[in-house]
Amino acid sequence: MGRGWRPILIGGAVAVATFALAQAEIFAPSAPAGGAAVGDFYRGETIFQRECAGCHGDQGKGGGVGPALSETGLAATDVAAAVQQGRGVMPAGIVTGQEQADIVAYVVAISSPSE
Amino acid sequence: MLIADVSETYTDLVTTVFSSTIAAKAWFATAAVLLAGVQIVTAARIYGRLSFLPERGATIARVHRWSGRIAFLFTLPVFFHCVTILGFQTPDTRVAIHSLVGTFFYGVFAAKVLIVRDHSLPRWALPTAGLTLASMLVALWVTSSLWYFTTVRFGF
Repeated sequence: MGRGWRPILIGGAVAVATFALAQAEIFAPSAPAGGAAVGDFYRGETIFQRECAGCHGDQGKGGGVGPALSETGLAATDVAAAVQQGRGVMPAGIVTGQEQADIVAYVVAISSPSE
Repeated sequence: MLIADVSETYTDLVTTVFSSTIAAKAWFATAAVLLAGVQIVTAARIYGRLSFLPERGATIARVHRWSGRIAFLFTLPVFFHCVTILGFQTPDTRVAIHSLVGTFFYGVFAAKVLIVRDHSLPRWALPTAGLTLASMLVALWVTSSLWYFTTVRFGF
């Protein structure tokens, strides 16, 4: 095998390693044991930016038509209920399923009062 | 506990400057794409094209090398967040394309670095690898930063 194959082989190995690392998600928050869908803070952040930040502001700090959410001490059940049923001008079911669980995880985290 | 601390520390660090980790990634990737543009222009000059540029000498080569190094550094926090926290995802076409191209990006980068140092390879190998890498970076930018700036918000 000629030297010309070396970049392709090593490049391929790096791609495989990258894929394995991505599958492992080594720094993703670990899922606690439990029955309901487990939310992912980081995916929730992406979804929040897409679906919610227009009204609730970046990181839920307010500034739009929706109330600020950060450091308001929201419980997961309240957030889930608001997403499912809507509240005020906020329509019901903006996201569902796993995306809802991810948003709940994110909103609960940002609503925790800072120490 | 330690692993959770890593992701939390990363988020805390990034959000001291940017509004969110997603916004940070969008801007880091934008910086990398702009530097990739510098890479293409200087590479073209090194290969004798774009003769309106001042020279073909050491300055162009130095700008080419350093723009590449800095672009690579800008991709590292993006790699960290995308690969080690978010992982390979395929919820829709945009994210699937982004995940697929991203998986091969550093492989092509490694191949390009090896090709630069191997003078026995055909003359077309290096520009082909370089343009492939730049095209992949643009594809990654379009499916992430451009999407973020046009559908979420344009800001830090």
